[in-house]
Amino acid sequence: MRLPPGINSKDFSDALKQFGEAVGKEWVFSSEEDTDLYRDSYSPFWHEDIEPIPSAAVAPNSTEEVQKVVRIANTYKIPLWTISTGKNLGYGGAAPLLNGSVVLDLKRMDRVLEVNEKNHYALVEPGVSYFDLYRYIQDRGLKVWIDVPDPGWGSLMGNALDRGGGYTPMRDHFDSHCGMEVVLANGEVVRTGMGALPGSKTWQQYRYGFGPYLDGIFSQGNFGVVTKMGFWLLPEPEAFTSGNVLVPKHDDLIPLVETLNYLMNSNIVQGTTTIGSPLLMSQAAAQTAGGAGGSALLMTPGGPTIEQLEKIGAEKNLAYWNCEIYFYGPAKVVAAQWEYAKQKYSAIPGVKFVDGKPYRLPLDSKDIEAAPKRQFGIPSLSIFGMMGRSEGHMWFSPIIPMTGEAVFEAQRVFGQAYHDMGVPTVSQLFVFPSSFFPRSFVILCGFPIYHDVEKNRRNREIFRGLVKAAAEHGWGEYRTHTAFMDTVANVYSFNNHALRRFHETVKDAVDPNGILSPGRCGVWPKNLRKEPA
Amino acid sequence: MRIPERPNLRLTRARPVVYRFAHTGDFRMASRREFLQMGITALALPVAGRAAFSPAISALAGETARATFYRVVFDARYPASRAFASEAKMLGLPVRGIKGDITDLWFNDLDLRWEEGPTSIAGLSTKESLFCLDLLARDRGMRVVFRADHRFLPGGGLEHGLSGPQDMMRYAVTLGDGGADWGSRAASLVTRFSGKRSPSAGATIVAPQAKRGDDPEHLVSWVIAPVRPA
Repeated sequence: MRLPPGINSKDFSDALKQFGEAVGKEWVFSSEEDTDLYRDSYSPFWHEDIEPIPSAAVAPNSTEEVQKVVRIANTYKIPLWTISTGKNLGYGGAAPLLNGSVVLDLKRMDRVLEVNEKNHYALVEPGVSYFDLYRYIQDRGLKVWIDVPDPGWGSLMGNALDRGGGYTPMRDHFDSHCGMEVVLANGEVVRTGMGALPGSKTWQQYRYGFGPYLDGIFSQGNFGVVTKMGFWLLPEPEAFTSGNVLVPKHDDLIPLVETLNYLMNSNIVQGTTTIGSPLLMSQAAAQTAGGAGGSALLMTPGGPTIEQLEKIGAEKNLAYWNCEIYFYGPAKVVAAQWEYAKQKYSAIPGVKFVDGKPYRLPLDSKDIEAAPKRQFGIPSLSIFGMMGRSEGHMWFSPIIPMTGEAVFEAQRVFGQAYHDMGVPTVSQLFVFPSSFFPRSFVILCGFPIYHDVEKNRRNREIFRGLVKAAAEHGWGEYRTHTAFMDTVANVYSFNNHALRRFHETVKDAVDPNGILSPGRCGVWPKNLRKEPA
Repeated sequence: MRIPERPNLRLTRARPVVYRFAHTGDFRMASRREFLQMGITALALPVAGRAAFSPAISALAGETARATFYRVVFDARYPASRAFASEAKMLGLPVRGIKGDITDLWFNDLDLRWEEGPTSIAGLSTKESLFCLDLLARDRGMRVVFRADHRFLPGGGLEHGLSGPQDMMRYAVTLGDGGADWGSRAASLVTRFSGKRSPSAGATIVAPQAKRGDDPEHLVSWVIAPVRPA
């Protein structure tokens, strides 16, 4: 029997029995066959003894059962690791951070409690996936949209609490939430915002309630178990259109992003945009295919020069940079917005535009197949069909300023970091940022996972090197794999780690026995806290 | 389908499944974790493969009855997978094609059916498609109970690495007959799933004459089934 740290087998057996009495013994899993299913499918510790493995899992079906489980865990001081649907692949999946934790699996709490079509919100439990809520809305013909990540099989609540993002105007998932119900470590239930008013009629409409606004501490946190969460939904727009903006020269990225900033912050362009490079991608494709020009150029020590690349771009009529931008709203308005965007971008010499396909909504069934589903809030698993030949991935995801200059600096810094760590410098060129969150860029860099201990160890070392390089330049990760939570938390060190010390003060107050997700995002309970290096 | 009396196989030593991973090129034993993730009991019987290759294979007494599946999934992009589906259809099983993306299969079919209760499915697909179906099935009380990795070898030939119920392994030898119809043979094999929990076993079979054609380097055939009585 695997045991939680510091717990003897008799106490653990007693606790498991009590968990069974609380939730039904068929919902307590302690065999290796069952608990191994909670291991990270994309673990960077594959085949290593240091891979954290749960000792058991418990699956309650209601807030009341969660309260009972938490009280039992508190009695025995058993660490719990909370998951919603356990699909946080690339960031740790369903696996705990602390070896031997009991997974608190909230998947059975899968009720859609309300969808309000007139005020455009939903209230859901943790186990409700994007597919579940999408089906609920479609089955009832409701005129509201959800916003989905890619893939769309995860939990709305789980993704939002990890501060994930999507693609429509509601793309910042935590920002789209309104109101929570939380079970605290002592088993007490708290409702935040207007939910603290009994019989509140605006719990999912007005966020802040009265007094200090707490919701943020339950995101990427371990101060409570969230058992209900409200989300604002997008009213189904009348129309959608898109346009592709292409610029010829390397330095055109600066005005490209500056104009994008203006358009996005003015709510003219909406949704997530990713900066791309048709020129660099064509060279990468040529390299993969063994084309002489492409492969020789990209593998030049130190990378090709800008002039070399711009020359190829001119010869092959390939834009150096592009961004596809999106518009949601009334048909006449989105058409006018695209025209306005073109007018603003026309200040860039040589700019070209490609009109996207306009859609009137709702989509006809014949349009759904070919439509860009994530821009329409339609969940999909198609991304798995595009996976490369690794055994998974983990994400390095720093936030950088939303400027062209910052993109160039990130290319230079990460390129140098890769070079210093012996990684091919071609990687420096492929720093393509996205606007998942307002007013900033996030760079999503996938690290492949292998079933090879040495390769994974090397990748972990490179990952840590990139975290350090990013921090030295004022960029922090917005989210990270459980394997690196301490590493990333450590760079948020202003004023002698004042933020962490504040987190620890709160943790000691609300969870003195340290039973809730120990170590999540670098917040450890007192009994497991190490002195910072 | 006639089982050849003298299988023309290059046999590997009977042992639990040996996996070759594309990046490392290394052969290594399947780990306990991989067995357990397939939802089968962890007792691996090293000699099970050897028994399947005995000269008495042509006289298979007490053949396992054919399984029925709610769906047999195939990837319409690949010849071997299409052959798998044709054989399954000939055996009276309902087939469903995908093209690498299981979204529609999941949302408009399996999610609805599994809401009513767990039921077995089988398929020959990419490992990414299986990965998705595996994780979705686990949420509904089902697991991958049989898996065969079919990998074309750089030097030629096709290696089948199998792991699953012992009583299926004696049919595994049919995969080694080297022909282009290995997909249809894999379909016949998966239908030997009895639905009963039994000790797990593994086998590795190499068909040196198999040609890749338009198939990818790696496909997997599999069975997903309930692990607890309904």
